[in-house]
Amino acid sequence: MFEIARSELIQIFRNRLVLVTGLIIPVAVSGFFVYQHEIFSDLGSLGYVAAIVLFSVTAFGLYTTAVTTLAARRQDLFLKRLRSTAASDPSILTGLVLPVTVIALIQVVAILIVLGVVSTSPAEIPLLVVAILATMAMMVALALATAGLTNSPEHAQVTTLPVSLAVIAVASWVGISGTENLAYVKRLLPGGAATELVMNAWDGGVSLADSLPLLIPTVAWVVLAVALAGRLFRWELRR
Amino acid sequence: MPTSPVVDVERLNVTYGDFQAVKDLSLRVERGEFYALLGTNGAGKTSTLEVVEGHRRAASGTVRIFGERPQDRRAVRPRMGIMLQESGFSPDLTVRESVGLIGALSGRTDDVDRVLDVSGLTHKAGTRVAQLSGGEKRRLDFATAVYGGPELVILDEPTTGLDIQSRDSLWAAVDRLRDNGSTIVLTTHYLEEAQQRADRIGLMHEGTLHREGTVAELTQTLPSVISFALPDGAPEPPIVGALNGAFHVETFNLQEDLHRLLGWAHDTGVELQQLAAGPTRLDDVFRALDAG
Repeated sequence: MFEIARSELIQIFRNRLVLVTGLIIPVAVSGFFVYQHEIFSDLGSLGYVAAIVLFSVTAFGLYTTAVTTLAARRQDLFLKRLRSTAASDPSILTGLVLPVTVIALIQVVAILIVLGVVSTSPAEIPLLVVAILATMAMMVALALATAGLTNSPEHAQVTTLPVSLAVIAVASWVGISGTENLAYVKRLLPGGAATELVMNAWDGGVSLADSLPLLIPTVAWVVLAVALAGRLFRWELRR
Repeated sequence: MPTSPVVDVERLNVTYGDFQAVKDLSLRVERGEFYALLGTNGAGKTSTLEVVEGHRRAASGTVRIFGERPQDRRAVRPRMGIMLQESGFSPDLTVRESVGLIGALSGRTDDVDRVLDVSGLTHKAGTRVAQLSGGEKRRLDFATAVYGGPELVILDEPTTGLDIQSRDSLWAAVDRLRDNGSTIVLTTHYLEEAQQRADRIGLMHEGTLHREGTVAELTQTLPSVISFALPDGAPEPPIVGALNGAFHVETFNLQEDLHRLLGWAHDTGVELQQLAAGPTRLDDVFRALDAG
């Protein structure tokens, strides 16, 4: 697994397109939100700014890059090559998405530290950590499922749009309008409960007992996406 | 005491939707054997190999590699090197990185520099895969297959796109593997490669294994050919088989008939024109198979 992850890391840094679209653009977008945090926190709260940063990086960085990577490796028959070795399927997939996941995690942590420095620190850091990890797990699982519907890296530009735009839209909807109305709908949508959890962790004022159940919809999305990936994911191009 | 076969395929069927690519195929490859699976395009060779490699599931039948299911990668792969028909390397990795990665994942140990040397890729070690020619990619594929000297090596069209020197060095490396006791399974369109090296050959056609045996066993069922022409006024030769003025004689007793013909020519002072004679080749068996 770590050999595959190492080779993926090498490839990420050698491929300028992936480097720019997957790593630099999400950071630039997030940097804009941090720079304009006073304006965006007026719309919702600082927790909303943190959530939108989290989803900008995980949607446009982690999720999109993971789908593109898996489609490219399938198209190059590299997945088939890896399956010609003694490596198991889970270790191959983990190795392929691990570098981009770690990079996204570092990006999120770094940007949120900057946000905390230029504004106020999060109220519940452990809860924020849990929310970040759950969100990343959801986006990786959604990437595996989406990769099953994606024939090529070029096709990934289309297939990743619905989920990417949906999670950003849901995060903004929940962040700006709150969950007083349509709470169940907002929490069941992908990223809705995770946004609320991030806001609770950053802004404070909500008990842990009220916040922790918000993990359930996110975990449910992970389970659903993994089940979908199990049915949809293909190791080779269709004949 | 008989040993269990390295590859054991029993009544294999492979289907793609309604199309049956492999029909009721059974074959065994014994330890240390060089087995060539040949066939026309679409005969089902690659489908069969893909099941043997564990890349495809059979519709029915059983396949065992070293007595294990081919999908059991942890048990099988460390003993088995696979040269795929298509390359399958990441274009942004170098040759050395590719061999190192696939080698490390194979469950075998070896020295990357040694493998690059064996495969004739030392001078390309730092080159990215995207910049390799088709032949160099085949050699890279070969390098990963022979990494660690596996007990079983599957070579799917190994010399396609290789120049003559590269072919020779590839076969020399295969010969060394055989000397060390490796079992080889080959598919190729270059019949002479199979004819020269294979202990046994399986001939596939339209999804079935039509015939199987040594080169001698496969070729002895078809006659050899003697052809020649005679000058005007020459007497009738001792063997028959005229074809458009020339003589085209099919024989199961090439040496004796040729000896008789040459003796007759010598005794009568007749010059045999355009004389050609040769044993049945695998190509002829193949053509006969394809003609039905």
